Amino acid sequence: MRYYETIYIVDPNLENLVLDKTMDEISKELEKTESKLINHRVWGKKRLAYQIEKQKYGTYVLLQFEEGNQDKMVDFSTWMKLNNSIIRHMTVLLDSKPELYAEESKKDEQVEKETAANNGEEKTQESESKLEETK
Amino acid sequence: MAFQNRNKFCYFKENGIHDIDYKDVKLLRRFINDQGKIMPRRVTGTSAKMHRKLVRAIKRSRSIALMPYVERGIE
Repeated sequence: MRYYETIYIVDPNLENLVLDKTMDEISKELEKTESKLINHRVWGKKRLAYQIEKQKYGTYVLLQFEEGNQDKMVDFSTWMKLNNSIIRHMTVLLDSKPELYAEESKKDEQVEKETAANNGEEKTQESESKLEETK
Repeated sequence: MAFQNRNKFCYFKENGIHDIDYKDVKLLRRFINDQGKIMPRRVTGTSAKMHRKLVRAIKRSRSIALMPYVERGIE
């Protein structure tokens, strides 16, 4: 199986809600190619090395997926090109399977550590109850 | 110049890097000069194999505007 990564730049002035909407649209469009989505996340707002469409900044979004129907990828690429909110995009073949981006789990760990430092007793009780639930 | 008067060695072999990611701009910046040109192998001492990978990574990050084709003020 081959894995691909698409990186695209979105207008930085888009609001979060609109950005989520466009990301959903892109995910839906990718589904048409029968690809399996692995990661889809915002990389961050960055300064562009050169101006594109008179924009100095851009929001980078990463999209990693497992290959689907190769013939339909051309349509996906053209769709991305015609989409007005996407300034530029590029798809690259990955060497190995990308790891799942675990932002939430990391945050949870941090939160747990903090809570453990603050009130150790409560935390152990919670974890015990969690363990029981999982069992 | 960062690479002058120094024993040549391959930065990637020395640090055990096998794959170069085009998103790692901080690393790639070491291998371009102030005009944004890719430094030759004879200056940086990079091994031939890694230089090919490096060039591909730099060109990719240029096309997605992470790195410049031409640095400002020189145009």
